[in-house]
Amino acid sequence: MQAYISGRNVNLTFRPPNRGPVRALQNFDIDIGEGEFLSIVGPSGCGKSTFLNVLLGLIKPDSGDIRMDGKPLAGPGTDRAMVFQEFGLLPWRTVQANVELGLELKGMSSDTRREVSQPLIEMIGLSGFEGHFPHELSGGMKQRVGLARALATDPNVLLMDEPFAALDAQTRDLMQVELLRIWQTAKKTVLFVTHQIEEAIYLSDRVMVMTKRPGRAKKIFKIDLPRPRDYEMRVTPEFNELKLQIWNELKDEITV
Amino acid sequence: MTDIRALEADIAQAADSGAPGRSAWYRLEPAILGTASIAVLLVLWEVLPRLITMSAGTKLFFTTPTQIAGTLWRLFATGTIWTPLGVSASGFALGLGLSIVVGLPLGVLIGRSRTLNAMLDPFITAFNATPRLVFLPLLMLWFGLGLEMKIVIVFIGALFPILINTYEGVRNADKTLINVVRSFGASEWDVARLVVVPNAMPYIVAGLRLAIGRAVLGVVVAEFFGSESGLGVMMVQAAGRYQVDVVFSGLIVFAALSLAMTAMVQVLESRLSRWRPQRAGGE
Ligand SMILES: Nc1ncnc2c1ncn2[C@@H]1O[C@H](COP(=O)(O)OP(=O)(O)OP(=O)(O)O)[C@@H](O)[C@H]1O
Ligand SMILES: [Mg+2]
Repeated sequence: MQAYISGRNVNLTFRPPNRGPVRALQNFDIDIGEGEFLSIVGPSGCGKSTFLNVLLGLIKPDSGDIRMDGKPLAGPGTDRAMVFQEFGLLPWRTVQANVELGLELKGMSSDTRREVSQPLIEMIGLSGFEGHFPHELSGGMKQRVGLARALATDPNVLLMDEPFAALDAQTRDLMQVELLRIWQTAKKTVLFVTHQIEEAIYLSDRVMVMTKRPGRAKKIFKIDLPRPRDYEMRVTPEFNELKLQIWNELKDEITV
Repeated sequence: MTDIRALEADIAQAADSGAPGRSAWYRLEPAILGTASIAVLLVLWEVLPRLITMSAGTKLFFTTPTQIAGTLWRLFATGTIWTPLGVSASGFALGLGLSIVVGLPLGVLIGRSRTLNAMLDPFITAFNATPRLVFLPLLMLWFGLGLEMKIVIVFIGALFPILINTYEGVRNADKTLINVVRSFGASEWDVARLVVVPNAMPYIVAGLRLAIGRAVLGVVVAEFFGSESGLGVMMVQAAGRYQVDVVFSGLIVFAALSLAMTAMVQVLESRLSRWRPQRAGGE
């Protein structure tokens, strides 16, 4: 697979005022194929969200080469959208207005926006909540609004930062199926950050394990399980074998 | 047996009325108590001067609520109050309006731009630390005793609460939310419109509330110390003629104006904070 997004030798150090520098990424390398579903697992604080923010164009790395579709990455663009780890919903906007944020910034008329947002709100199971404000929603509901908002602008690349972490197990399973359906029908490239190894295997073409901070790519696992995948697949020996291998790679990086 | 039933019903009712938002008395109690204490005060004020014998000279300095009410009625009925009230109100409204038009955008700008902040901060700090009254002689010299001077003194009084509160609110903006709208391609203007200003709204409204107080003070000060006309001028002249009832009438009109403005801000505030979780205990 030819790399659609590539990062070479990406280095990034945070220099917060009045505090010591924090090295978040060191010689980070990554290749993502077009239409690929790649998951990243890694210890907390290893730089996963940081890298997603770099790809989104919000943070400039200190050094390194990042390309998308062969061109160097320059700032945010509507070809990418992020599902933020802390939801990032504007508290003064209703569910619908939050979902339509990106469309509004594209200059779309309110009628057209509604045509896009309505089916998405239905898909995430929030019909009837269009006029609610974020503080009136549960954590899982907020997370689904964040997902709908990212999908609304129909980006080629979906960056997902632990998008299902706040969901209950059953909703999570349903959303995983829904995500795979969207990914397959709309042919999106997905970079998916999670702490759940099982989720990573179930969804992905490949799973990357990162080292502890400063984060580097430690090992990449190819997931050769057939698609479409179903729930029963999670109890097959192949699945469990992969789970064990990834866990073995990951556990050395985790310090408590 | 029936007695016990009745007692139980009573208890249930008592418990009911204790529940927030249920009984009329529970909701109206503060208002009723407040009105009652004002009424008691007014009655005492009305009655006491009649019970105590005062010399004619001393009586000159006092008045009673009925007298004030009569004078107020006369002032409005004959129309003599409209001109001074109009002058004071336009000084107030134009000065306050100007301070909002200048203070809000300026507060957003210095909140968002490190450069502008560094350049303007010394002026703002120094200006804000100086009592505004010391500018009065200079302003009278520059702008005369008319409406312009009043507008300027109201403006410099009301500007800083709005400017500084807006600035604080802008500084407080959630970095994640700014990143969210940026990721959708928002310009700096979009960031201000979609995140920074809505986020700063509670601060701005608090600043507006302060500014209203300062603006009223500005009008009063300008009119007490050097203006051709206005409510304050009317009060000063009446005091010179020992018309205590007229002085009180002016005071009541000023108080009513401030209260009306504060009530408007409250309406604005509740409009703007529909998206906020209801504060615990609040109604
Ligand atoms: N704006 C910032 N200023 C200073 N340090 C930061 C900033 N953002 C992140 N960091 C630091 O960079 C490191 C990586 O953070 P990041 O959010 O990328 O971790 P993560 O892998 O997403 O962790 P988690 O799984 O817990 O979400 C952390 O040590 C964090 O403290
Ligand atoms: Mg993170």
